[in-house]
Amino acid sequence: MWISELWIATMRKSTIASGGFFCWCTIRRMPPLAPLPPTLEQTLSGLQTRRLRWLLAVPKLGIVLLLAALFSLLWLLHYNEIEEERSALIKDVLWLEQNLRFHFDSAEEQLQQLASEIASGHARETQFRVRATHLLKTMPEVSHLFWLDQQQRLVAAEPTANLPDEELSPLGPTATSRGIDTARRFGKPVYGDFFRSSNQQALNELLVPIHSQGQTHGTLIAVFNLEQLLAGQVPWWFTEKYKVDIIDTDDNVLAVKTRIEDTGGQSYEIPLEPPGHGLKLRVTGYRSQENSLQRLLVVAIIVLAIGVFWSLWLVRELMQKRSLAEEALRAEHAFRTSMEDSLTVGMRARDLEGKVIYVNPAFCKMTGFSREELVGQVPPMPYWVPEQIDETFAMHQAVLAGKAPPDGFEMTFRRKDEERFHALVYEAKLIDGHGQHIGWMASVLDITERKHAEDLARQQQEQLQFTARLVTMGEMASTLAHELNQPLAAIASYNSGCLNLLANDNANPSELKPALEKIGLQAQRAGKIIRRVHDFVRKSEPRRAPCDLSEVVEDCLGFIEPEARKRHIRLACQQDSPLPLIPADRLMLEQVLLNLLRNGMEAMNDTVDAHRRLEIAVRLGSNEVSVSVSDQGCGIASDIRDKLFTAFFTTKAEGMGIGLSICRSIVEFHRGRLWAEDNPHSPTGTGTIFTFSLPLTAD
Amino acid sequence: MSPPCVHIVDDDEAIRDALAWMLKSRALNSRSYDSAENFLASWSPEVGGCVVMDMRMSGMTGFDCFEALLDQGSTLPVIFLTGHGDVPLAVATLKKGAFDFFEKPFDDNALVNRIREALAADASRRAADATVDSVRTRLASLTARERQIMELVLAGKFNKVIADELKISMRTVEVHRANLFDKMQVKTAVELANLLKDKT
Repeated sequence: MWISELWIATMRKSTIASGGFFCWCTIRRMPPLAPLPPTLEQTLSGLQTRRLRWLLAVPKLGIVLLLAALFSLLWLLHYNEIEEERSALIKDVLWLEQNLRFHFDSAEEQLQQLASEIASGHARETQFRVRATHLLKTMPEVSHLFWLDQQQRLVAAEPTANLPDEELSPLGPTATSRGIDTARRFGKPVYGDFFRSSNQQALNELLVPIHSQGQTHGTLIAVFNLEQLLAGQVPWWFTEKYKVDIIDTDDNVLAVKTRIEDTGGQSYEIPLEPPGHGLKLRVTGYRSQENSLQRLLVVAIIVLAIGVFWSLWLVRELMQKRSLAEEALRAEHAFRTSMEDSLTVGMRARDLEGKVIYVNPAFCKMTGFSREELVGQVPPMPYWVPEQIDETFAMHQAVLAGKAPPDGFEMTFRRKDEERFHALVYEAKLIDGHGQHIGWMASVLDITERKHAEDLARQQQEQLQFTARLVTMGEMASTLAHELNQPLAAIASYNSGCLNLLANDNANPSELKPALEKIGLQAQRAGKIIRRVHDFVRKSEPRRAPCDLSEVVEDCLGFIEPEARKRHIRLACQQDSPLPLIPADRLMLEQVLLNLLRNGMEAMNDTVDAHRRLEIAVRLGSNEVSVSVSDQGCGIASDIRDKLFTAFFTTKAEGMGIGLSICRSIVEFHRGRLWAEDNPHSPTGTGTIFTFSLPLTAD
Repeated sequence: MSPPCVHIVDDDEAIRDALAWMLKSRALNSRSYDSAENFLASWSPEVGGCVVMDMRMSGMTGFDCFEALLDQGSTLPVIFLTGHGDVPLAVATLKKGAFDFFEKPFDDNALVNRIREALAADASRRAADATVDSVRTRLASLTARERQIMELVLAGKFNKVIADELKISMRTVEVHRANLFDKMQVKTAVELANLLKDKT
């Protein structure tokens, strides 16, 4: 419990201290279209990576230190416990040893007293027995008491002269006799070496010399049973805690008192002095009951530590994932930024209220305003043209209402330096990461250059058409001159006739009048020809006005009639009537029809006179009107038909190859079509029909 | 003989009308035809006068019409009216025997003067044609021998040589020669030669 708390506390502390985590979260929550200033962005990315690594290292280090401290604490506790146990053990051992020593000393003292009584002669055999019986009763560990005389002969023994199960006389073992010697020599009690009885009981002897006035009169020997000693002298509570045994120098157990066989606790040894001779008292503690609880605690700590590591690992994995995602996001962002920077198309995003939330560098460059000046702006925008503010605002409202034209719309904007430019704007919905419609994204193209180029191309096209008309007139000059000569010649003749009449003096005005009237008519006829030529070659802007096709046909026939006459070509014209007025430039249509008629006439150069027939048909359809020119000439090979309308393609020796290409561009300017096909009704078997169709309305 | 008539051939009605009006003001008769075909249809060797014809017409052109007239042995003087640029064609017609050509617009009085000359030429030609007709009649009246002797006379041979060649007497030659001169209405061999040189 406390570990997890500590972990959380550590985490919190570290994240708050670094501030990086929150910073990172803030970046993640930023709208996807709000790019950071590059410098800050770079700093953040570097900082984030370092912070993240540091963040991951801190809790790991903390956990390791915490665990180390915990284990140290446990170890210390354990150590202290052992130390305490040990000191208690030592204390107890010392106490036991002292107790035993006191007991030995007490036995020694009683024996010495008995010895001195014997020496003084006060005590005889009977008294010895009384005293011995008493001693044996009070000291159960003393199993036998012997009285030996000067020659080491047994004087008396209690309870028996022999040791149990063994016919062991006090003089039996050499150790005893050596001990008797030593005791006699020193004149004071001596302990003999231990020995074992036949039933493996460890025994020890205390030899007390009986002497008076420097004379040794014998020896008292008390045989101690070590097993009995421990049984009698080690209290019960002691055995609750310890196993007590007496061992020799070779660690052979001589006597033991224990309640449980297997101990595993610490032990302590102390020399048993008296009786000495390498005997040692060994006390071994039982394994303490607290150990299992401690072990449980350790296990719990380890389990918790593993849990902490596992959770840390999970967090680390999560953070790595986030780091990878962040890396991908950054890469994506960098990619997008470079893409945006490379675009020449201006991009501008607005939210649903029309506020500018994003512009790309191309848009800034186009308008001349900086990103800071544009982002956050609400209508009217600084790049709107003041004099067109109403139209612009209306279009703005249409866009916000989702009614922007899908094919884009043209708009005039102004740059910061007041220069106007034409823009083509495409609007699309701006969708965020959750699929929510959050605004409008516009791509803006500066089409000023394109418009200029288009204007130039149109002017050139007009110039070309004009030139072509001049060329046509030049080619027709001879015919036109003849045509003009006719009325002029007639006028001259009438004029001469009138003058002749007047010269006769008797001229009658009524005779002159019809001639003069005819002169006027012929002058009008000449004027009409001149007007037609003038109209045809005048330079004018293409203008689509209501136009009567029958007038166009009539004018063209007027032009080519003289030439047709010269070429012996019969002209035929069929028109549906009434023909509606169509929106077209009359001059341009005349140019097309005249060109087709003249081509038709030239195609019939090699046709026999009888079949030289050029037919014009004007047919009214449901939504278009078509004009066709059928000749019975040489026809057009199918392999060159496709190239007919391309510029500078010609089959004529002196042609420039621009006539039909101009015709097609004129027809297409009127949203019509121009095509050629074989003439199936031609009696010569060859011949071509050129047809152009025009829409009845200017859509 | 009918009065001299100017035949106007032009497909342009205004031109025809104006020319007719102008010629009338100069006291010249005219007839108008709106195409070469029409004119050819009404043509016969007896038709006199002159032709004023437009070079460029729908249908048969003036040049074609002129060639057709020549083919049919017409001797009518033809004056062409041409537009600008038709001059080479007009020159070609002149070489073929056209009387003249005028480029439109033309000086009407000059045209009338030429028309008058053409009419005069036609008249004199017709007169000459009448002479030719009589010579032919005279020649037709000759006998084979007389024609034989006439050819030898025209070759400049004397009577004696002719008599030797024909193996006839000189007297016979003289008789035939006298008859021949009578029939041909000439007095000398030179006169005979001149008559035949002009008209054959």
